[in-house]
Amino acid sequence: MIIENVLFAFQEVFHWKNLGLMFIGTTAGLIAGSIPGFTITMAVVLTLPFTFGLSPVEGLSTMIGVFVGGLSGGLMSGMLTGIPGTPSSIATTFDGFPMARKGRPGLALGLGVWSSFFGGILSAVLLVTLAPSLAKIGLEFGPWDYFALVLFALTITASLSGETLIKGIIAGLLGLFVASVGEDEVNGVARFTFGSETLESGFDFLPVLIGLFAFSQLLSDVQNTEKARQPLMTGVEAKGIRVEHLAAVRIIFKRWVNLVRSSLIGVFTGVLPAAGGSISNILAYDQAKKASKNSHEFGTGTPDGIIAPEASNNATAGGALITMMALGIPGDVITAVMLGALLIHNVQPSPTFITENPDLAYAIFIAFFLAHFIMIIMQAFCLRAFLLVVRIPMYMLAAVILAYCAIGVFALNNIQEDIWTLFVFGLIGYAMKLLGFPLAPMILGVVLGHVAELNLSRAISLSGTTDQFLLDMVTRPWALFFLVVAAFSVVFPWYQKARERAAWTLGYLPALMVCLAVPMAMMEGWPRTLIAVVLVLGAVYLLLQSARRGWSVSTDDAA
Amino acid sequence: MSVSRDTIVAILLLAFCGVLWYASYDIEITSYGTMPSSVWPRIIIVAMAVFSALLLLKSLSSHDDAPVEEASSEPFFRRYRNAAIIYALFLLFLLTLPTLGMHLGGALFVFLSLTALGRPSPKLIALHAAIAVISIGAMWSIFTFGLRVILPQGEILPI
Repeated sequence: MIIENVLFAFQEVFHWKNLGLMFIGTTAGLIAGSIPGFTITMAVVLTLPFTFGLSPVEGLSTMIGVFVGGLSGGLMSGMLTGIPGTPSSIATTFDGFPMARKGRPGLALGLGVWSSFFGGILSAVLLVTLAPSLAKIGLEFGPWDYFALVLFALTITASLSGETLIKGIIAGLLGLFVASVGEDEVNGVARFTFGSETLESGFDFLPVLIGLFAFSQLLSDVQNTEKARQPLMTGVEAKGIRVEHLAAVRIIFKRWVNLVRSSLIGVFTGVLPAAGGSISNILAYDQAKKASKNSHEFGTGTPDGIIAPEASNNATAGGALITMMALGIPGDVITAVMLGALLIHNVQPSPTFITENPDLAYAIFIAFFLAHFIMIIMQAFCLRAFLLVVRIPMYMLAAVILAYCAIGVFALNNIQEDIWTLFVFGLIGYAMKLLGFPLAPMILGVVLGHVAELNLSRAISLSGTTDQFLLDMVTRPWALFFLVVAAFSVVFPWYQKARERAAWTLGYLPALMVCLAVPMAMMEGWPRTLIAVVLVLGAVYLLLQSARRGWSVSTDDAA
Repeated sequence: MSVSRDTIVAILLLAFCGVLWYASYDIEITSYGTMPSSVWPRIIIVAMAVFSALLLLKSLSSHDDAPVEEASSEPFFRRYRNAAIIYALFLLFLLTLPTLGMHLGGALFVFLSLTALGRPSPKLIALHAAIAVISIGAMWSIFTFGLRVILPQGEILPI
């Protein structure tokens, strides 16, 4: 059965039309990722309108191509100009730019490209092996657990993506509210329509998303007249550069420990809802520097400083896809968009996604592998395209893309009201950005609003009474597990600020481990009980270590 | 005593929550034995009101209301001039869409946006016109012939 599904998926992915779309998608992603101010998310969002007319496999494959291409495209501008194309390649510039300035731009690009490739392939292997296993765990979830999981996804997104946690949570709640407008799925009752027939069907996900993200981003990009009139980048010297593929691969294989460690960091970060490549590349760079015997060389153009961030940011994509496919929860904003694409094709991502849609699931696995090979092939060509694109001023791109947004949004349902939705949410997104509200929690709120309400309704119906529902939320192991991590994710911003300064932070991790041990011990099966014991022992060990250091939080004192 | 931006935002959010709470009483109550349709929105509204109140308290207690963007000496209208122009042009595009259609309206929107944002020179205006016609023409062709989407035709040039 599995072989049949895999063969069918291969057939679909390697169809000439799908291959062509993936080449276009990956190339578009590489170019979009290399333009500062033009994020990968925006590129994936703008791909969505093209996917309506495509099959789910074609649509998803194209988007995966854009995603993978975008993650690798950011390194070009970062290495050649010192300005990262995307936040996912910030750390790449720390050593990539100095290496290029020292006269080795070909090697720097080679290291970046091949680290991205190997990081992506490692995460693809983990995606194929872990997603089905995680989905099996997901099948244990009842509506209580799923509701708690959505709460966790929203709280961690709010705590990681914003300047302040309060604004992040308000943004997430606004997203949930937007999703509740119109007829509700359970009773079919209209809500907050204010007498408008148009609002009865609620807001479509795509116009809201493009308005919030792309429209508002483009308005921000043209805010400064002088900057908008200048070419996207100046002083890019890349003529005659030849990517040193062989030398780069040799160097990477010699530093395989760094590659594997960074890829694992990337996958783990991707699995967490909301934590994307922008976080993983810095984390991996930091860990590579700490682990290196020559840490003083970091920042001067050392290969390890390029391998770590580039391997991790591509690996993050695999991690984010694991969460999306196994649990139906987006790992980041980009997978939230992909989730929206699945919904457009009437495919409901959930823990049963892999078992109910094995052909599509395996096609995603294969497309993710394939996109990395296409990325390697297209990188050299995109270097030339990159040099051409960066000569265009931002205001020209913005005006054309805005018109494209309107056409793309109209194409969804063939109704002009969707363009009005785009217009309104464009203003809301722009205002929110100016006022310091992060958009990621709001987008996640819009995507997960229906899932949260549906599961809450089911849970209350099954529990019988509200009191019993509340009791079930804290006595069901998985629901409790997610409530615990949600609570700790709320405290996380304060922990991060006070780390290495306040003594209470020494207790954060042990407390989390002990609290997580409780639901783990409540679960069936000895491996989970064993994990609970390990967690408690780990917490005790950490507390003893802190006590031995006299509860000192300064790293200097510890040394 | 000066009022910070976050204070105003928090007050507006609280007022918004009040309006939504009032509007939630218009939601029909069903007797299907399921969770009433007003419960979930009310949970959201209450949570939003609580966090808006927290934002208000935080903004009132905080003395350094850090601006989101770098402080700028530019006047307000000049600072947001481009965004306002684009927004107004997009509104115009939407209002004239039934008359001009996607092709003419879209091309006009792109041309006017480019001309409003770019440098005023005859050479650039000609370039903007060419970009508008080519870009909208390409997009219109892809969606009409490639993706089989019937875009708004308009009354002037119904194709």
